[in-house]
Amino acid sequence: MDLVTLALLNNRFEGVARKMANTLLRTGRSGVLNIARDFSCCIVTADAQLLVANEGLPIHVLSGPDIMAKFMKEYCPDLKAGDAFINNSPYHGCSHAADHTILVPIVDDAGRHRFTVLAKAHQADIGNSIPTTYHGAARDVYEEGALIFPSVRVQENYRTNQDFVRMCRMRIRVPDQWWGDFLAALGAARIGEQEIRAMAAEVGWDALEAFSREWLDYSEKRMIDALRALPSGRASRVSRHDPFPGTPDDGIPVTVHVVVDAEAARISVDLTENMDCLPCGLNLSEACTRTAAMVGIFNSIDHSVPKNAGSFRRIDLKLRENCVVGVPRHPTSCSVATTNVADRVANPVQCAIAEIAESKGMAECGAVIPPSVAVISGIHPRDGKPFINQVFLGMTGGAGSPDADAWLTIGHVGNAGMCNLDSIELDELRQPLYVASRRLLPDTEGAGEHVGAPSIAVEFGPVGCDISVGYVSDGVVNAALGTRGGGRGGPANQYLIKEDGSREPLPSCAQVDVADGQLVLSISAGGGGYGDPKSRPADKVARDVRLGRITAERARAVYGVALGMDGSIEPEETARLRAAA
Amino acid sequence: MRFAVDTGGTFTDLVVEDDSGICRLYKAATTPHDPVAGMLDALTVAADAAGRSLPDFLAGGSTLLHGTTHAINAIITGRTARTALLTTLGHGDILVLREGGRAETFNFTHEFPEPYIPRSLTFEVPERVMADGSVRHGLDEQAVLSQIEQLKEKSVEAVAVCLLWSIVNPAHELRIGELLEKHLPGIPFTLSHRLNPAIREFRRASSAAVDASLKPMIARYMSDLERRLRDAGFRGRVLIVTSQAGVIDAADAAQAPIHIVNSGPSMAPIAGRYYAAIDSSAADTIIADTGGTTYDVSIVRKGNIPTTRETWIGPRYRGIMLGFPWVDVKSVGAGGGSIASIDGGGLLRVGPASAGAVPGPASYGRGGTHATVTDAAVALGHIDPAYFLGGAMTLDAEAARQAVERDVARPGQLPVAEAADAVLTIATENMVQAILDITVKQGIDPREAVLIGGGGAAGLNSVRIARRLGCRTLIIPETGPALSAAGALMSELKAEYHAAQVAHSDSFDHEAVNATLAALARRAKAFAAGPGAGAMETTISFKADARYATEVWEIEVPLRDGAIADADALLEFVEDFHRTHEMLFSFRDEGSLIEVVGWTASVTCRLSERKDLRLASPAGIKEKWVRNAWFAGVGWAETTVYRFETLKAGERINGPAIVENDYTTVIVDPGASAERRPSGSLVIDVGQQ
Repeated sequence: MDLVTLALLNNRFEGVARKMANTLLRTGRSGVLNIARDFSCCIVTADAQLLVANEGLPIHVLSGPDIMAKFMKEYCPDLKAGDAFINNSPYHGCSHAADHTILVPIVDDAGRHRFTVLAKAHQADIGNSIPTTYHGAARDVYEEGALIFPSVRVQENYRTNQDFVRMCRMRIRVPDQWWGDFLAALGAARIGEQEIRAMAAEVGWDALEAFSREWLDYSEKRMIDALRALPSGRASRVSRHDPFPGTPDDGIPVTVHVVVDAEAARISVDLTENMDCLPCGLNLSEACTRTAAMVGIFNSIDHSVPKNAGSFRRIDLKLRENCVVGVPRHPTSCSVATTNVADRVANPVQCAIAEIAESKGMAECGAVIPPSVAVISGIHPRDGKPFINQVFLGMTGGAGSPDADAWLTIGHVGNAGMCNLDSIELDELRQPLYVASRRLLPDTEGAGEHVGAPSIAVEFGPVGCDISVGYVSDGVVNAALGTRGGGRGGPANQYLIKEDGSREPLPSCAQVDVADGQLVLSISAGGGGYGDPKSRPADKVARDVRLGRITAERARAVYGVALGMDGSIEPEETARLRAAA
Repeated sequence: MRFAVDTGGTFTDLVVEDDSGICRLYKAATTPHDPVAGMLDALTVAADAAGRSLPDFLAGGSTLLHGTTHAINAIITGRTARTALLTTLGHGDILVLREGGRAETFNFTHEFPEPYIPRSLTFEVPERVMADGSVRHGLDEQAVLSQIEQLKEKSVEAVAVCLLWSIVNPAHELRIGELLEKHLPGIPFTLSHRLNPAIREFRRASSAAVDASLKPMIARYMSDLERRLRDAGFRGRVLIVTSQAGVIDAADAAQAPIHIVNSGPSMAPIAGRYYAAIDSSAADTIIADTGGTTYDVSIVRKGNIPTTRETWIGPRYRGIMLGFPWVDVKSVGAGGGSIASIDGGGLLRVGPASAGAVPGPASYGRGGTHATVTDAAVALGHIDPAYFLGGAMTLDAEAARQAVERDVARPGQLPVAEAADAVLTIATENMVQAILDITVKQGIDPREAVLIGGGGAAGLNSVRIARRLGCRTLIIPETGPALSAAGALMSELKAEYHAAQVAHSDSFDHEAVNATLAALARRAKAFAAGPGAGAMETTISFKADARYATEVWEIEVPLRDGAIADADALLEFVEDFHRTHEMLFSFRDEGSLIEVVGWTASVTCRLSERKDLRLASPAGIKEKWVRNAWFAGVGWAETTVYRFETLKAGERINGPAIVENDYTTVIVDPGASAERRPSGSLVIDVGQQ
């Protein structure tokens, strides 16, 4: 294929993924979808290889769509135009049960399956046994309680199977909201189908398939160049998830062994030396294990390498069955697979690469999910109807990188800052909620030449009713680590502020009832720093003090920068402090 | 006689319209440190051409319409006033945190953007209003007074005030305004609920911050502009182009400068609407304005120019988000200066890197060496190197050819002409994706729309763009190279009044909504009777910002009337909402509750008679000649070049052909045919490749 056609078709395929995503973003109903942008759209080849994805949540797409497409073909060998399938099974390639994924096989007029388009969207509710889509304490999938769809046909001849719809409506707490999101995802997938059909009408199916092959080869070439730019080496790191119900008392340590072989242009991550699956909702699905490891890799190398099955050919992942970061067996619960332990895979991988290669890799991002990003529910006093929604009142967590200070609102490593921050007014309009404050906390940044994000503190509570707040807040015990001499980020925490103003600590993984007049104080995890804090330019440190990000005491003690009363740098004292280090 | 002056980054365009509607184009270099000087230069060129003295010439002018990048440049370069923000206790990080979101997921080389007002100049005011307008914490006036003392100490030059829920109960913001007036006299301030009464506190705070920060300098600029024009002999009215495709008096622009921030690109769709209406029967129009470094796409949907509140200055998520509506324009870094290269994996890329005007394309001979889109067009013989900008500049064709050969042909193993053609193909695709983004967003099918090409470089690949989009018709207006200035001549005096009031379709409070709409109507009428007095025609229209209750983003739904009088009118409104939603997103959800969060009244006053806008033709110019040019499927061939102005109305030419004038070159590709229309436009049936 000539280079013009290659560039042209790539542009158009990316355009299709973008159009699918725009449709989903603008028609989805749940906050988790249109504020957090917790959705993704992608196109995989007929032989189930990821070709192109929209710029969505990293944890959503790198691996998973390929596995789901494979199961779709296996369970339904004679795919027909007009078919659509739903998959939310963590045992069949989906990330976790909350991510309802619509798969539409694109079948040409001769009946040949050519591509599959996928639209995946996190739901406000999936019928779990408690009103949250992150059931951290669930002993197994039965206690978790979601309806699981292991590649189930929901459309034939472009018509929706109403049996399936009735089942969902009986089980899901906000059936209308779910139905709206279902339509949005289906609409996005059908738009992808239309667009690819139109392209095929123009250039032919064979040209599109030839493009797919060449595009994957091109992507592999780019990956080879990116890996050859690294030094060969190996590093092992451990990142530890906090103790939760169902985990050992000291939490879940995740060990990663990373090997870069620059000459062979290969990188490997070994995750097999980790504990077996646990009786809780923190286990990773296979899709999330693979994706999390790859997020750590792609965060660490030339960012312009296309992320698809072509570049993935240079990555070797060693996984084990029935491992908390591996391949789970039914009925292991993977309710919280996209965030907590997944972050404990991606983070040490990028830190390990930083240790192997100077000015590559990244520090650890902060952990989640604090109460400020909880699923809240209750009965709305306005109309007496139940409500349930995930709010996004604040999470920071960005890690220092070789080139820049943290992106403040990164959320967590698997989100990469895609999540929008809720407008307080919009949240207070939508739910009976009062947000008393939302502020960055000083001295909580991961110190470094490039600093990690500070923590954010949010105080909120109900208005005129009681609410239930569900969250799974990692990072209270194990803060985000720095790398190459960088410091750790501020830990997460949460409290209940009673009517009299007194504070009571709250557990890390809980479904908390908050009464009218009470507030929850949620503190998000800060991010780790990159490089030695004493190499941070002194004027940047002085600026951090001026903006209230850090105190003058911390500037002196941690960064070795002495400031006068007016905030100006005292050069001699600073030189002395920095030399002493 | 009317003048339209568009002060751009490089050139100041002037269009002079005489009383019969005949227009003449003039250009002068923009003088960035004193833009009024560049404007007076252009007016002097025009006076000279008319053989009159400047005072004599200006005395004949009734109106001067001015589009300016002065405000946006000040924001981009940080030359705005030292501005403080007062906001609700507990929410001082409002501008720091922004609204979240990030582009380029795996790219960690960008720093998090700085807030528009630094945290050190942000003050938390003890007070809190709730969503229903009730006061949870009263305003602590003593605290405000001591904060005002700090503002003095910090030599603050402007103040923005944005409190939570001031849109529902503005008492606290109003009181702070009184205190500022009394204790900080002479320092301009902006109250968020007055400027932009819309829900979403970050956007309101950002609008207020930008507006306040521009007040001192824009007030100076406007009074200086009016004074110098008067001194030069102009006695008419000075109107400034707004970001919402209207014009306002210079004095009003000084009062709320946020209105003129995106003055530049908002006029092109007005001109586009005009030409689409006379030269085609399509319901929807796509207007693409091609500059040297950016490609601006706007649209007209069934006669209306849609606006957006997603208003970024600079890159999305990293720039400044105004949160104040402006004409929806999609800008991408693509233009004549876009650089072509082949990457490590062998893929041809064009842009977003640009050679800009300096050093410029290789063919400019100003030190640029990279192959650009302009170089590709020169290498194909599409641009005449001896006659660039009407001969004002001579291009180096050999340098263009060599750059294309070195950067694209050799690494891509292609003949030079094919390589140059490939560069145009990829540039076309980048532009097409920009058009697809905005048309998807606005619910328009490009295959049913007409494409209008504006800007000097539009003609190079607009036929290709139209073909790729499936648009059958392409219009290149004769004023195309100065489309914005031409649009300013067609613009109308315009004001919008907004009120935030929540209403639900299941518990609709007709009385409250109609009182709000009546109040908005009164303000619109007062505008019509004030600045709009003596207008030929005045229109007041109403719209609602509404959504399905569980959605997050609102859409604009026009109201049929200035009230929703009764249950039947509500049913009509609900149906209008469903229909609009379906048009934009291709689905409706009959069962869902509809939530309205804001109401708007727009008033437009047409100040001048409608005339056909025609360019004066220079006399005694050559009508056609031939040039060697390359086209795919044809190869090198002697190609007829027509002079744009000398084509007669109804005259049809078949591609391959080239149509040129002093400002632009239009390529009529093989398979396409072009016809000059009585309007002066070149209308191209893009045909098949």
